[in-house]
This record gives sequence, C-alpha cells and structure tokens, in this order.
Amino acid sequence: MIAKVKCYALSGLEGVPVEVETDVNKGVPSYDMVGLPDAAVKESKERVRSALKNSGLLFPMNRITINFAPADLKKEGAAFDLAVAISLLKASEQLVGADMGGTVFLGELALNGDLRPINGLLPILISAKSHGYSRFVIPAGNRSEARFLGGAEIYPAENLTAVVRHLLGVSPIEPLETAEYVPHAGAKTSANLKYVKGQPLARRALEIAVAGGHNLLMVGPPGTGKTMLARCLPTIMPDLTFEEALEITKIHSVAGVLGEEGIVTERPFRTPHHTATTVSMCGGGNKVVHPGEISLAHGGVLFLDELPEYKRSTLEALRQPLEDGKITVSRAGGTFTFPARFMLCASMNPCPCGNYGSSERTCSCTPAEIRRYRKKISGPLLDRIDLQVEVDDVAYDELTSTGEQEHSEPVKERVEGARRIQRNRFGEYGIVTNAEMGERELAQFCMLDREGNDILRAAFERMHLSARARARIIKVARTIADLDGCEEIRPKHVFEAVSYRIFDQM
Amino acid sequence: MTAEERAYLWLCGCTSLGDRDRAALLRAADPAEILLHAETIFPAVLSGEHEIPPYDRRMHDADAFLKMLAAKHYFALTPFSEDYPEPLRHISLPPLVLYGLGRRELIRGRKFCVVGSRTIPPWAEKAGRDIAERLAEKFVIVTGLAEGGDSAAIAGALGSGNLISVLPCGLDCCYPAAHASLKEKIAERGLLISELPPWEEAKKYSFHARNRLLAGLSEGVFVLAAATKSGALITANCALEYGRDVFAFPYSPNVRQGEGCNELIKCGAYLVTGAEDIFSVYGIEAGEKKEIALSGEEREVLAFLKESGQAHPAAIAERTGKKIFEVTAILSALEIKGAAVKAGGNQYSAAE
Repeated sequence: MIAKVKCYALSGLEGVPVEVETDVNKGVPSYDMVGLPDAAVKESKERVRSALKNSGLLFPMNRITINFAPADLKKEGAAFDLAVAISLLKASEQLVGADMGGTVFLGELALNGDLRPINGLLPILISAKSHGYSRFVIPAGNRSEARFLGGAEIYPAENLTAVVRHLLGVSPIEPLETAEYVPHAGAKTSANLKYVKGQPLARRALEIAVAGGHNLLMVGPPGTGKTMLARCLPTIMPDLTFEEALEITKIHSVAGVLGEEGIVTERPFRTPHHTATTVSMCGGGNKVVHPGEISLAHGGVLFLDELPEYKRSTLEALRQPLEDGKITVSRAGGTFTFPARFMLCASMNPCPCGNYGSSERTCSCTPAEIRRYRKKISGPLLDRIDLQVEVDDVAYDELTSTGEQEHSEPVKERVEGARRIQRNRFGEYGIVTNAEMGERELAQFCMLDREGNDILRAAFERMHLSARARARIIKVARTIADLDGCEEIRPKHVFEAVSYRIFDQM
Repeated sequence: MTAEERAYLWLCGCTSLGDRDRAALLRAADPAEILLHAETIFPAVLSGEHEIPPYDRRMHDADAFLKMLAAKHYFALTPFSEDYPEPLRHISLPPLVLYGLGRRELIRGRKFCVVGSRTIPPWAEKAGRDIAERLAEKFVIVTGLAEGGDSAAIAGALGSGNLISVLPCGLDCCYPAAHASLKEKIAERGLLISELPPWEEAKKYSFHARNRLLAGLSEGVFVLAAATKSGALITANCALEYGRDVFAFPYSPNVRQGEGCNELIKCGAYLVTGAEDIFSVYGIEAGEKKEIALSGEEREVLAFLKESGQAHPAAIAERTGKKIFEVTAILSALEIKGAAVKAGGNQYSAAE
C-alpha cells in the first residue's frame, strides 16, 4: 500500500511543500530512500525505526521505499522524521481510519519517540498557510513560536505515541490557542536613556537618527558611553507592528536564535564582534544558507563597535544592503534573498590613541597615523551614514551626579510623532522614512528657500564639505523639521544638520 | 641659457657632490671653467675620488636635463638669473639652483613666511587661515606643504594665489603624499619651489635645509604654532640668523603646541593676534576688516564664547536658557559665517 504525507522543507525564508510517499511491498526486507535526501534526512531511517519500536508500534519487516517529492529539490535537516514515521505507519496499515487529509507533519524524532523542536517553524507555517494548508502537527517545543499564527489548527505533540493516539481519535490533542501579540512582552533590555549621564548632543543625534531612519556614527574617546548610548536605540524606536514582528521572527526562527517567548516583540540589537567574517555578516553557508547578522538586525539596530577594526571587505559588503534593505546570497545550491533593513549605528575613536580633540588629555598620534586610521572607513560607506556626532568626554562629576536625565519614553513619543508626519507624507511613494528619500522625493519635499541654499553654499565653502554631503544634510534637516513639527525646512534646521557632518571636516 | 648656468645645472646634477663640495668648487673657479676643466679642478679642490665624465657628455647631460625640465614646465633659477631672489644671496649656503613650477612672477613679490607645526589646535588653525588670507593681500605667503600650520597658511592664501610653497623634496615628488592634489592646486594658482633635483625624495635632513629657504626668502617669519622642539622653531632660528623679523601667535600656558611660540615672544618676537599686527611693523595700511552680519542670538552666544574662551553647547544652553539643539544650530551658523570654530570634544571657541 502506498501512503502520502505532507511535510515542508525550508528554502531561505520560504517553506516548500514536500510529499513523503511510502510504499510497503512483500519481499526481502529492505529500507530505501529516494528523492535527493541529504545525510541528515537519510539518517532518519534509524531514528524512525527506533522511535517506532520504542513507542510500541510495529516496524514493517518488508520491502520499504520512501520517496520525497518533488524529486529535484534537495532535502535537508531532520524536520521530515515525523512525516516519514506517519507515512510508514499508514502504509503498513497501522493508522486505519485516521483522518490525515490536508495535515502537515513537522518534527524531528528522538530514539525514544519524543518530538524535538525544529528551526524555521514559523516561516514554514506561514508559507503552508498561504498554500492552503490549515492543519499542522508540530513538536510541543515549538509551541510558543506557532501560537501567533491565527486561522489554523495547530496540534503540538510531545511524542510519536501522542500523535498516533490523536490521529486515531483515542485522545485528541487540544489545538493551540492563538495568542495576542503584545509589543515588549517579556522585555529583556534594561537599557534606558535615563541611565546615560550627560551627552546632550549625542542624545539629540540618537533622537534624530531614529526619527528619520538615518544611520549614525559616534566618535569619541574610549569609555565615554558610546556602547551604552547605542543600546538605548531600540528603546526609542517605534513599537514593532505584528507584521514586522512576524517577519523578524521568521528570520530568527530560521537562524535558530529565537528565544523562549516564541515571537520577537522587541527590536533586535545585534553587535557582531569586529572579527566577524563577511559571510557571518551577510549570510551564507555551504548547503543550508543561513541569514547573517544584518538580516538578524532587520527591523532593529546593527551596532558596529570600533568601526575601523572591522575588515574592509566586510564593511564594504554592507553598502548594497544599506541601500536596498535586503541581501541576496548566491551559492551553488541556490539564490536566497533575506530582508536586511536595519539601522546602522557605528562607533569609533577619533584616532588610534583615542585622545584626539580631547581637552583633558593629549593625543600622541601623528597626523599621518590619524589619517591612516580614518582611511580604513571608505568614503562610500561614510556617505551612507547621515549623522556623525562627537561623544563628549564625561567628567567624573557628571558620572557620579544623581541629576535626573530624560527617560527613553518621552523621546520615543517625539520619534513616533515625527514618524507619523513622514508616513502621511510618503504614503504613496513606497518609502517610510526621510533617510530613504531619493532625488524625486528630495525635489518634492525638501525645497530650500534662498536663505537655506545660501547657508548650504557658505557651509560648503567654509567647511570644505564633500559634494555628496549635500543630499545627506538636506535629509537630516528634513527630519529635524519634522521633529519640530515644521512644514518647511527653516535655516535653523539646516544649521543644525550641518553640525552633524563632523567627518567631512576632519 | 649661458655657459655658467649650464655649469650650475650640471654641478647640481652631480649627485655625488654635497652642498659644501659645490661651494668649495665654486670658490676655486668660475662655473664655466669647472665645466671645461673638471678633470683638473675636481682633484685639486675635493678630497676623495670622483668619476668625472668627459666634457661632451657634460654638455649633453646639461642639455638633456634642460629639455626634461621644459617638458614638465619646470623652470630653473640660478644666481645668474635675473629673478633669482636677492635675499637668498645673503644667506649661508644659498641654493645653486631653484626649481620652480607655477607662476614664476611671484618670486619677485614681497614675501612673508607663515609656518606652524603639524599638530595645531583648530582655533589656531582658523586664526592662521584668516591671518594668511589678509596677509596675502599685500604679501606673497611663503610656507611648506605639510599638515597643520602649513595647511592653514595655504588655505588662507590659495584663494588669492599669492602663495609660494617650498618643498622638502624634488618637484616630481610630494611630501606628505596625501597632499598630492593640494600640490597640484598650488602649482596651478601659486608657485612651487624646490632646490633639489626633481627626482629627489624627501630625506630627514632636507626639512632642515628647506626651512632655511623659507626664512631666507621672506622679510619676516610668522610662527603659528610650535612645541618646544619643532621645525617651525628651526625656521624662526634661521630667520634670526639672517636678520629677518620673527612674529609669533600667543598661547595660554598649558597648550603644548604653543610653548615654542610663547618662548619666542619672551625672547622678543612680535606678538601677533591679527594681520594688522604684522602690517603695522612694515608700515602697511591694512585694508578694512570685513564685518560679519550676525543676528541677535548669534551675537549673544558669541559674546559668551569670547567671555569663556572655550565652551560646550551644554554650558551655553544653561547660560542662555535655550534648548541644546537650538544652541547647536546657532553655533553651526557662527561657524559657517566664520565667527566661531569647533575644537574637538564638541568644544567651541570664538574666532575673531
């Protein structure tokens, strides 16, 4: 008898339907698998055999052929175990009368019959739902992740026996209740702007950067709280909407970094170390293509501490994703596109010794050393960082002061106000923030009056700004005006925007 | 080109000779004689072995060299040239040849030297730029090509083109290499000068030799910034030796880059805070200083900056009761208008 059971494979962030067909024939006992299974899939043979035996079920001593369709798709991982076991049971007539039509089986088996959680469950469920499937049997360990998919019957099972008893109707499993999405449920971060001492200029830069979706570079001596400031960025960003949260969760699920709560409710904050390779940053891998740090930072912040220490090639690889908001990874096994719309926040010292420009300490670097240090960051990358701010050397008195600092919450409110203005403005243009504006939008929404143009011209002559800094300054000025609730860009907005281009002058 | 000049060029091209060797040769005989009878004059004057090519080769070498110079638009000045700078004749070891690229006529103008060490506080750089800009109305500014003080002088004088930059290397080379495009700009609008053959790279000792030219060419030397041990001080010492005037920019006592300047002032150098101070020494009527148009709140912030010397926007915000980002905008406006300058660590100071 031939049995067919539905399962899903993962390709990038998309689920691909796979049918597990099992044929049990009379003949010399054998057990074959066809249909491009990789090593982990082939090994499911032994896991399934043991799991069946240890669950008190029968492993048929016949000629068994298992086929994975479509045959041309490479199957990887252990997520097919449950489907193989169920199809074997059905083909050997141990599941007579069970209703399995339209059910998708997902899960890895342990030798004792327990179901182990799998990576990438949520993207599979989302794809399968869009393909018209509405009943799923999943490992109980994936319960928290699957809770948020509404409009489907999802049965979390502890082990193979429970699945069989459920299918036979002996003891049905309770379907999962759809959970309500609450932003910041079980918030992990303890960062808050109230803990940051002083730094009024950097605070303002943070606010502008988040309000307009600009990238940010903080330059300052070591130990001045650059990292702490950066950690506060997610706390002043707008809450994740459910759609955003689902998208981020999909990526984190595929990468296997999803936490206990099952859905990402906070904006991600990723801090890859400067030894990170280009592949770990952008995504890749030999057979299975994993999303990289920039995709894990999707919807949140990618924080690069000590920017000049990163490998040049790694930094240059960020340029295209910074423009497009996605990364396409091409390997022999296929081409995968991962979303990567993140806010880049970087920090660096002003010079190798860290004291350049400090009023307290003396810098011991020669001009050539400083030039070499700064040259490690290419112009094109710097060009994509709209805001550059110097972080103050905090005096000891300020560190120990107990004076009240502004909390993250009011800042977040102002940011949300500015974002609302931008949403209304860009409604039909397919962009969300000022930072994404192209030439067309710049011409339409950022007309400077004569005074504004004169200021910019004077600024260029005085401060030796590069020509490409112009568009950046105007975008930042637009955001500052939005924060101010101002329809047109006033001279004071332009002036302030100019002060955030320190690198063009250095 | 006369036989003497040819001889000079050839002598300078003899890389086995040092400056002192050349001077000794020239004391012993006429340049034209040296070119003709090098085989006998060299051994008589110089100790050591020197390989001396036959006369034909010598003439040929000098001609080929001249052709090469012409092809690169370089010109060469020797003491026989009409426009060889007169003041240089009176220094010790005047250069036998000066190679130049750019506006040759600048060499005849009144020259004034502005130098400063390579690391220099931003406000001093700004002041240097402004002073050089105003000086360039009456003088041709003479300086080097390095960062810091030299760059400030170049930035100030390049606009009018009244600028001579003396290189520590040959005209083909560029030191520091990062200033290659700046060097090109100077060649276009001002004048580049070097006493070394075009192919010569900068050596440790060539800076010292170059500094003597800076002082030698100029009527006076203005030191914008100098630590206790600095190339700018070498230039100032040369200036004293040659009887030129020395001027210095004053610093507050704890600024390392200003220790040398303060020392110079103690020893009697003119204290300079603006171009007028230099003009008055030479009895030159200074042109009217341009007034900067400022708004009310800009004037308020500028007054506070002048009062406190250097200030952080937060301190200004506290004093004036404005929001910090409003203060940043005002400071940025002052900076663009040239009335304030930003130092490191978000500190601002007035620049007038």
